[in-house]
Amino acid sequence: MKAQRCRGWGLMLAVALLLGTAGPAPAAEKLLEIGVLGPLSGGAASYGVELVRGAEMRADEINKAGGLKVGADVYKIKLITYDHKASAADAATAANKLVFQDKVKFIIGNAVGATCNAVQTVTEPQKIMFAFVCWGTKNLGQDKPYSFRSMLSQWEAAEPFYRWIKEKRPTIKKVAIISPNDTSGLDTNTAVVKAAKGLGFDVVAEETYERGTKDFYPILTKMLAKKPDMLDVAAAPPGEAGLIVKQAVELGFKGAKGWTAGSNPATLVSIAGVEAAEGVWSPVNINVKSDFVDAKVRKFGEEYEKRYKEVAGVIAVANYGAFDVFTKAMQEAGSIETEKVLAALTSRPYETVWGRLLIGGKETYGIDRQFLYPMVISEVRGGKNVDLEQVLPGALKALKK
Amino acid sequence: MSLDPGLRRALTGYGLLAAASLGLPLLTRDTYYIDVATTILMNLVLTMSLRLEVSTGQLNMAHISFVGIGAYASTLLVMRGGYSFWLTLPLAGLVAAAFALPIGSLALRVSGPYYFLITFAFSEVVRLVFNNFFVEWFGGPSGLVQIPKPDPLRLAGRELTFVGKVELYHLMCVILLLAAAVLVRLDYSRFGLLGNAIRQSDLLAETLGVWVFRYRLVAFVVGSFMAGLAGAFFAHSHQVLHASDVGLEPMVLLVVFTVIGGTGSVWGPVVGTVVLTIVSEFMREFHYYENLLYGLVLILMMLLFPEGLISLPGRLARFLRRGRPAESQAMGVGVAS
Amino acid sequence: MPIELLIQALLNGFALALVYVLVALGLTLIFSILEIINFAHGEFYMLGGYATYFAFAVFGLPYVPTLGLAIVAVGLGGMVAERLIFRSLRGKALNAFIVSLGLLWVLQSAAQLSFGVLDKSVPRAFSGIIRAGGIIISVERFVVMLAAAGLIAVLYLFLQWSRVGRAMRAVAQDADGAALQGVNIEFISMLGFAIGCALAGAAGGLLAPVFAVSPAMGALPVVKAFIIIIVGGMGSLPGAVLGGLLLGTVEGIGALFFGSAAVNILGFLMVILVLLVRPRGLFGVA
Repeated sequence: MKAQRCRGWGLMLAVALLLGTAGPAPAAEKLLEIGVLGPLSGGAASYGVELVRGAEMRADEINKAGGLKVGADVYKIKLITYDHKASAADAATAANKLVFQDKVKFIIGNAVGATCNAVQTVTEPQKIMFAFVCWGTKNLGQDKPYSFRSMLSQWEAAEPFYRWIKEKRPTIKKVAIISPNDTSGLDTNTAVVKAAKGLGFDVVAEETYERGTKDFYPILTKMLAKKPDMLDVAAAPPGEAGLIVKQAVELGFKGAKGWTAGSNPATLVSIAGVEAAEGVWSPVNINVKSDFVDAKVRKFGEEYEKRYKEVAGVIAVANYGAFDVFTKAMQEAGSIETEKVLAALTSRPYETVWGRLLIGGKETYGIDRQFLYPMVISEVRGGKNVDLEQVLPGALKALKK
Repeated sequence: MSLDPGLRRALTGYGLLAAASLGLPLLTRDTYYIDVATTILMNLVLTMSLRLEVSTGQLNMAHISFVGIGAYASTLLVMRGGYSFWLTLPLAGLVAAAFALPIGSLALRVSGPYYFLITFAFSEVVRLVFNNFFVEWFGGPSGLVQIPKPDPLRLAGRELTFVGKVELYHLMCVILLLAAAVLVRLDYSRFGLLGNAIRQSDLLAETLGVWVFRYRLVAFVVGSFMAGLAGAFFAHSHQVLHASDVGLEPMVLLVVFTVIGGTGSVWGPVVGTVVLTIVSEFMREFHYYENLLYGLVLILMMLLFPEGLISLPGRLARFLRRGRPAESQAMGVGVAS
Repeated sequence: MPIELLIQALLNGFALALVYVLVALGLTLIFSILEIINFAHGEFYMLGGYATYFAFAVFGLPYVPTLGLAIVAVGLGGMVAERLIFRSLRGKALNAFIVSLGLLWVLQSAAQLSFGVLDKSVPRAFSGIIRAGGIIISVERFVVMLAAAGLIAVLYLFLQWSRVGRAMRAVAQDADGAALQGVNIEFISMLGFAIGCALAGAAGGLLAPVFAVSPAMGALPVVKAFIIIIVGGMGSLPGAVLGGLLLGTVEGIGALFFGSAAVNILGFLMVILVLLVRPRGLFGVA
């Protein structure tokens, strides 16, 4: 009886060990495995999904063209993606898996502020090149030479955006800002407040809300009592931004509307309704169908929509661009060793899907690791997002001269 | 000397645990496996201590909060106060226990689903405080970064460093084996018998003179102390601490590990944690379907094994013996509502 | 502080409170009859929202039948869930908790895989704004408020006056006693679960045009439902209504003075206070 139970245990232990040692299949010859991390479930899933798709599209293009030729070798690219469910601890474990078990040297794609810090505790000591769209000043720095941000963040966008507002709409004096209550939201608020105050605006309200909130009447009632001329929904994701705008208009708000971190006006319009969304400005968003973007972006947008039946957002393009830049750097360096690739990624312009791209940002982060590409300020008119003007952020301005 | 079956079981179980955990680094040095194993060991401390509290029929949803209290306490003491990790580690446990005393005293005045809900409310309050208040201390939604690893320890004339994954693993091993020793000893003692009695019927136990409230409070404080220890380890090994690490999601996982393993035995959580962690790491391969499959696994496991996985060998044994009266009473019944 | 602002704040809190009360009633009904807490309750709210989205936005059916369809569909779903999964867990709260958690993940993942991750908007069923002095409420929210009140009233009448309703109350009070009186416990359990889910589905359907639908939309309403039930008392319908209005007040006025995080904490502190001072809630049956 005791022996039988012992046997039962022995069996269980053996099974457990077997399951544990059964890892993924060994990689084939000349395979370049690249990791992609993101929130693939839960509230922030749209970011993760776009990251994966952007990477997939570039990887497939390269593979179809015969593979990535680096030095004397030709590599087939294989993507390994994991869902970190927007949890920092989970992101660290997934990063560990990518780096130590899957042995990737490049992680192209991650979103959600706190997870980036967690992943960096794994990637930086191991010299893994890491490109992400996370927003947070702490994510880039001289102590993190292998980390890159592939999408314009609030720090690049806020100043040019508010400068444009000041020029084109001088009647706007009082601004109210609202963002979700997390790393990127708070950071965005800080960036926007700094830019706005620096340019002479009066910030009458700076609010945050818990992610997942749907009913903004209480917080809007408070904000609108201060009679702002403009409402900036800053870092709110598309669904919530749409709700805020809709409810603000219901409560009688008639002023201007901005979305400093806006990345998907189509969703905002569908949630807010055509009337309420009228006039919303999005500086960071990229409309893949617009005339103001490079023809390559339009082409990307078409193929993306054909393949995935959804319109591409800026995150997909950004990750596609990051993939492109990293692989180009590998080819320049003639090697896939990250130290050499890093050295090849100098601060000179790249020809990418965005057109000319520069890696800059030293004045904000102390090191050039921020992808800079042309911004397009757009406005929603009659339910459609209309591009108004192309604006060049930071060091890119100097370049175009 | 012949040992009674209870003691024999306790020693065998503990021996297996010690052997498996100490022996792992001998089998593999693969960083990924060591990393997963370290997480498993840490979760073992948490689930075994949770089980101590649950064994009296009450589910404490604020267990993870004490992990947080220990984690932030140790981090702040080291980073702001300049103290050594070796001082802040036990301090973290004590701070957690210090908070546990008043919180437990309040919460344990109610029972059943009300206890579940009040501890859930507490845990959300704690999480919100870490996430949004005293930002100067707790880092707000960005959390705390660059938390230093444990400083070197001078022991018996040699200096031990704790920078590498394997070294951290060994540290976690020691913490686990100490905690497990305490928990197994408690289980195999009058304390454990009382717990069983209370779970089966607290009213009856009360009439027999057992001071149920005090028992539960002791379990609560001891469990929270261990959670605090684990929290300190978590902070200094991950080097990044964030309010989401001490919220509902990780707490729910702990409950899942404990209940699926089986709350009737002190070894239940061990089985649950190991099996489910391996299953969920395995699930990572499925990417988009990960959550869906994991959910299905939970439903199936709970329906097939209402008393937890730990009851499996007992049931197998009973099945093989075909109906002879089972000694498996001692395996423990699942938690009665 | 101008009085208008305060009244607006109060109205903000109340308008949607009754919808959350619906969710809470569903949860407490299931708890009373089956003695388990269904953690996946929010997912039935979500399914109600998507059912409405498909029928109303995609297939273009008129709104009211759509709502009816959503309620019935989710109710049937609940019946299936009870039969397959929850029946054997009667009384086993801890196991039911784990199972409902698994169900939550299954439903949410399935929704994400089937419907995509982006928020889907549902066109407005009623447009227009009602103004009275400086106070504003959209017609949409006003109608939702009335509809929720109506459904609560229907539920109340059903439980008080119908045979089945009374049988449910009997089972909630004492299942064994009810069985001795000839009540079919299995049938009542299934029906109770179905109605509980249907209530959540109704709430989801009512709020779909107001807030749009997304796979994770069930998380927040279920937390509010918990707070409402605790404050109002488990197993009490008037308690739930009062609890909902109280929560609405706290949140509405709280937002005027505090930030969002503090308002959330207020809700939980309310819970803790109630549980310490009067554990069975305002009107709870012990």
